[in-house]
Amino acid sequence: MTHKLITFITTAVLFTSAVQAQTGISVEGEVSRPLKLTAADIGRMKNVEVTAADRDGKEHRYSGVPVYEILQQAGVTLGAQLRGENMSKYLLVKSGDGYEVLFSLPELDSTFASRVIILADKMDGQPLPAGKGPFRIVVPGEKKPARWIWEVRSMTVRFAKE
Amino acid sequence: MNKCGYIILLGLAALPFRGSRMAYTTTPFTPEYPAYFGNRINIPANNPLTREGVYLGRLLFYETRLSAGNKISCGSCHQQRLAFTDGKTFSTGVDQVPTDRNAMSLANLLWVRNFFWDGRAGSLEQQVLTPLTAPHEMGQSLETSAQKLKHSTLYPGLFRAAFGNDSISGQQIIQALAQFERTLISAGAPYDRYLAGQYQPDAAAMNGMQLFMRAPDPEKNIRGANCAHCHGGPKLFIETFHNNGLDSLPADPGREKLTGLAADRGRFRVPTLRNIALTAPYMHDGRFRTLQEVLDHYSDHIINSAALSPVLRNTSNEAGGTALKLSSSEKKDIIAFLQLLTDSAFISNPQFSNPFN
Repeated sequence: MTHKLITFITTAVLFTSAVQAQTGISVEGEVSRPLKLTAADIGRMKNVEVTAADRDGKEHRYSGVPVYEILQQAGVTLGAQLRGENMSKYLLVKSGDGYEVLFSLPELDSTFASRVIILADKMDGQPLPAGKGPFRIVVPGEKKPARWIWEVRSMTVRFAKE
Repeated sequence: MNKCGYIILLGLAALPFRGSRMAYTTTPFTPEYPAYFGNRINIPANNPLTREGVYLGRLLFYETRLSAGNKISCGSCHQQRLAFTDGKTFSTGVDQVPTDRNAMSLANLLWVRNFFWDGRAGSLEQQVLTPLTAPHEMGQSLETSAQKLKHSTLYPGLFRAAFGNDSISGQQIIQALAQFERTLISAGAPYDRYLAGQYQPDAAAMNGMQLFMRAPDPEKNIRGANCAHCHGGPKLFIETFHNNGLDSLPADPGREKLTGLAADRGRFRVPTLRNIALTAPYMHDGRFRTLQEVLDHYSDHIINSAALSPVLRNTSNEAGGTALKLSSSEKKDIIAFLQLLTDSAFISNPQFSNPFN
């Protein structure tokens, strides 16, 4: 009986902790400050809104944090430092489903690019739809949304080696 | 000469090296594959492919002495004629207790980065350890396996030829097996001949291929099955993990067990569809006996849940529909296309066969 009770409690505790695990975003690789961002951390960062068309062809308002801001917080070589060998660095964004997409750093840097690529957490003022949140990359003006990677779990900056 | 005699000869040929101080040399093994597979291959720096290592790995793959009671080998559950699967829902190991998940095909592992249905192993070397030692699979420690092989007449010379030292270790067993498995490349199906412009599939298979590759768009009158979203490209898989709507409350939590994240509930690896006609039953739990049942699932029976892949939500051939809704002839055509992925050269390649037969 005691054994069963202990098993039950252990299972319940394990199950609860599993349910409580939160999706955060790790920022790592060629960074001076690796980050583990929670939803609250991201909520405190500079928020912007962009308008862009998803696969359905319809325009939506997306709001979130410029990827540039996140990379700056992690100490990635941007702005005046984005020159020389740093021009061969890239950002690899990974989804919870294993999908990966790549951006070059100048694409994300406001001193190079006029469009602002964001890590969105809202579409038309609402949280992202089931399976696509809590965070999704939105690339305004890109005709095919294949890099609008959903369920973002990690961002890794690396040097292209060859 | 029969194969058994050949092996003994090889073993004898290795004998002069026993205890000698001659520097050992290995011959590099360069895997051959079509350029369209890409070069994102995975070979650890500390386990390069060598002819000697691959050959030893092949013997070990079919070696029953690696199991408790010498009952089974890797090849028992990964049979070449079935593209290295066993045709069973769940496999049984040395103690006859069924495994938790369906045995996966071993084709084109050179490109795989996360092994097992839940992707929990980051290399073949890491993966191989589980079936060798799990009590319900081959059920024997690496130390015992190494001891058994040390006392054989066949193996000491072959290990020395592959690894250059006198001791047979568990690590070497693992490395040789991983080397052999990396050579199991399937790229000789009729689909490959089609890609090379040397084969024209019939009308049904061509229609099936088009449905397979395209996403449906009823407003533009485009019919599709959107299979390629996850099983696209010449390797017929993209290494992602999806909850594909099998259950609302999965009995097997899949990747959730690793990450503790509700978003990973019922999420499993997208396997290659190469040789899919040979690898029934299907899914991580082998619940579907036929490709028809698989097509029926994706077309009509996706079960919604919070973790269901967004790719499988509201993807329909009917305007405003929530299910794919393929016609029965479309399903037949897709199955005709899937037959083009069967690689008869792969399942009869003597380099992969049981050398003890």
